[in-house]
Amino acid sequence: MADLEKLRAVAKETVSRDDVKYLIGWRQGTYGFRVSPHFITEPEEADKLIFSPLCSNNLATYLTLVEKLPVPRGQEPDTRKIALMVKGCDSRAVVQQLVEQGIKRESVIIIGCPCQGVVDLAKVEEKFPAVLEQVEARWDDGKIVFKLSEGEKAVPREEVLADKCLRCRYPNPVTADTLLWEKVEAESNDEYADVGELEGKAPEERWSFWEAYFSSCIRCYSCRNVCPMCYCEDCILDRLNPTWVNRSNNISENTAFHLARAFHLAGRCIECGECERVCPVNIPLMKLNRKLTKEVREKFEYEPGTDPDSKPLQASYRPNDQENFIL
Amino acid sequence: MNNKPKIGVYVCHCGMNIAKTVDVEAVSEFASRLPYVKVARNYSYMCSDPGQQLIKEDIKNEGLTRVVVASCSPRMHENTFRKTLAAAGLNPYYLEMANIREHCSWVHENREEATAKAKKLVYAAVAKVRLLEPLEEKEVEVEPSALIVGGGIAGIQAALDIAAAGFKVYMVEKTPSVGGKMSQLDKTFPTLDCSACILTPKMVDVASHPNIELMTYSQVEDITGYVGNFNVKVRKKARYVDINKCTGCGACAQECRLAGTIPSEFNMGLGKRAAIYLPFPQAVPAKYTIDKERCLFLTRGKCGKGPKCIEACAAGAINFEQQDEIVEFKVGTIIIATGYELFDPAKKPEYGYADYDNVITGLELERLVAASGPTGGEIVIGKGEKAIVPKEVAFISCVGSRDESVGKPYCSRVCCMYSAKLAHLVTEKLPDANVRIYYMDVRAFGKGYEEFYDRVRREGVRYIRGNPSEIFKRGDKLVIKAEDTLAGRTLEDEVDLVVLATGLEPRQDAREIIDILKLSQSADGFYLEAHPKLAPVDTATDGVYLAGCAQGPKDIPDTVAQAKGAASSALILLSSGKVKVQAQISNINEATCRGCGYCVEICPFGAIDLVEVNRMGNIVQVARVNEALCKGCGACAAGCFSGSAQQKSFKDQQILPQIAVLGAMK
Repeated sequence: MADLEKLRAVAKETVSRDDVKYLIGWRQGTYGFRVSPHFITEPEEADKLIFSPLCSNNLATYLTLVEKLPVPRGQEPDTRKIALMVKGCDSRAVVQQLVEQGIKRESVIIIGCPCQGVVDLAKVEEKFPAVLEQVEARWDDGKIVFKLSEGEKAVPREEVLADKCLRCRYPNPVTADTLLWEKVEAESNDEYADVGELEGKAPEERWSFWEAYFSSCIRCYSCRNVCPMCYCEDCILDRLNPTWVNRSNNISENTAFHLARAFHLAGRCIECGECERVCPVNIPLMKLNRKLTKEVREKFEYEPGTDPDSKPLQASYRPNDQENFIL
Repeated sequence: MNNKPKIGVYVCHCGMNIAKTVDVEAVSEFASRLPYVKVARNYSYMCSDPGQQLIKEDIKNEGLTRVVVASCSPRMHENTFRKTLAAAGLNPYYLEMANIREHCSWVHENREEATAKAKKLVYAAVAKVRLLEPLEEKEVEVEPSALIVGGGIAGIQAALDIAAAGFKVYMVEKTPSVGGKMSQLDKTFPTLDCSACILTPKMVDVASHPNIELMTYSQVEDITGYVGNFNVKVRKKARYVDINKCTGCGACAQECRLAGTIPSEFNMGLGKRAAIYLPFPQAVPAKYTIDKERCLFLTRGKCGKGPKCIEACAAGAINFEQQDEIVEFKVGTIIIATGYELFDPAKKPEYGYADYDNVITGLELERLVAASGPTGGEIVIGKGEKAIVPKEVAFISCVGSRDESVGKPYCSRVCCMYSAKLAHLVTEKLPDANVRIYYMDVRAFGKGYEEFYDRVRREGVRYIRGNPSEIFKRGDKLVIKAEDTLAGRTLEDEVDLVVLATGLEPRQDAREIIDILKLSQSADGFYLEAHPKLAPVDTATDGVYLAGCAQGPKDIPDTVAQAKGAASSALILLSSGKVKVQAQISNINEATCRGCGYCVEICPFGAIDLVEVNRMGNIVQVARVNEALCKGCGACAAGCFSGSAQQKSFKDQQILPQIAVLGAMK
């Protein structure tokens, strides 16, 4: 499992191909438990690639984030493939992008990394505060082993893994051109306990819960920018004419922003949790997204990012679709 | 617009319809003070000639650039006022209507509140009207041909009319022959014309008319395109008989090893046919077809020492290698005349249709009384020694009509009369028989119908008001349990034959056409017309018309009238040669479109396609609207994440100020 030699060998071979523009993987970050995306065009750069419990980043976002620069007259646009390393959750983002025609299947090479779960940085940094030197980590039989300057520390996975990983039903890429190592076993079910807990509260309680979080939002748009499913050329929330959401930072506009985003993700969110991970003020955005994910699953038996041949939920219709939620 | 808009507001009294509940003086006085409003007037009937004249004169004299009419629903008079604007030289789409009748005066009683609401609606319209853009009504060419789906009397009549006007007609019929249900009837009410005598010449005309291309045993597979330019794909099913060689002599059917063993569909299963068959003697085309579900050679790959039909056919027309053939062609207009099915009386088990041989349907009796039927016109029930000539005959009306319990709340409109007709034929053929009809109400509404009903009663047919509750067997007899509601007594009548007047229902395969053409169904499942009164042959899809029972139950005179109506509507298109398409259609901003294709999936009219465009040297995919197909329903605009899809005259920028006004006004 997590055979780095294999990973690097496959990466080398892939970037050496003439029809590949670059490969996106993970590398060590600059300090502590951080990991950076690694864009490589040359085989020798592959040696820096890693795959460890620290590789939280969903790299699928870079497939659609890339800016299409104007092509000078007389030149052909670069149509070479992009190779991408994906965990299970990341692969669902790729599949959903395929469903929405955000990317074309022939323009990507998917290198699948079956994953035993990645850490929640907040949980780790609570256990090991103020670590500045670069830390490595590995999976070891239900434990996560961190290589710190004072030596290796093994922590049970339940204590440091991200919540989404503890209930993960898709640890293995749902689609891949190459699978780097053996598949891992998945959790069988996700009962949406976190959503259920909120649903059980009175409307006023729920509102005060969100009011507190939305008031603290600084509208940095990190959640939107990191989201692999947010890739409109021109986001409707940035528009001035008409202005759907004002720029002013207040509870009203912030709420409008988050609700609009949540509804734009209904039937599309693949629960990679990147929005929540990057939020500088720790808004539990996944609770919002997962509420809609749950509704979509229960009402329409639809799970985005699992079938590249499916039709997008919001653009498909069955005569027997439920409509009892329409007031 | 560089110049400031000059808006005219016209508040209509609609006689007292609006003025009774809304203070129209106050509304127009309020409107006169709104931004950019140059004139505001009120008038008793804005839609009348002098009312329209007011608008025209103000456009000319005051230089109005935008017009708001506060009156009825735009569904009523938007077109009227658009024409008024156009007549005065203004773009017709510079009009906005405030609906202060249906949305206000008709639904409120308090004059003060209704007036306040009318002011709001007018203000919102004023806020929007200045942002409207001029739109152009485009025209597309019309392919000079028509497709008719269904070869019953409706399809036949429509085809003959269009062909007679000089246009090409493609007729597609699912079964091996044209003629439809009418060909199965013996006589037709109320004049008792022989059905075959009046229908057969028309069937022959369809086959021989130089302008009609008849495709029997064929099915529409797909239709794409739009009014004036439909692309049709038809599957001609393999008949395993070369129709160019087949002479219709029938030698094959006589020799067929299965001759006389397969229930004949035409005779409602009362007669038998071979695996190679002509549905009925007058079938058009008079060409044989092999039933591939039954033919021994086609089902088992073996038929004795070799299929006898091949030996029998002197013309060498039998061809077991034949494959389905797909043909494609273009038409300008389409008429759907797919007809109906009969209600399955087994769904009402209390009548024992599934249990007793002498409980039959009206159409089965029709085959029994027909000279061309399996008994040569003798009313005989059962076979051989057990065969009986019924003495006591009972009809039960409304089987599968006006019956909520089987999901058929509607009246089938023909059963009262066909029961009367069959009752007459029974008394004619069996003068000794006692005939009675159990009914709920008798609906004899057409020309000559009431007279016919009277005649049948004079002939001795007894009408008993009350629907039977049960039919059961007692010895050789059937017992009908019913209540005579007029006499107020319960009955247990012993009879020899019960005839169920089964109602009409939509075809089981109605959905196929719906999926292909995006038609709508009314609650009863029949195809929905565009307007129940003023557009009864049109559909919501331009260029597609309805004829006959596909639209709802009707008798032959109504079917023929509607077919002629549909043909006339189709001919308007065909003879004008071009058609105006919607102007308030969707438009996609290709610069912001990300090509996700949601709108393509959402569009109920198939009007949006993904196309590749060159965006600064990069080939990207964007959505594009086919302007001839778009109906301006706005579904794409609602579904677009990036707001790239916008419906003209209903753009976000045009609607939001309207909403803002409604939200801001107290």
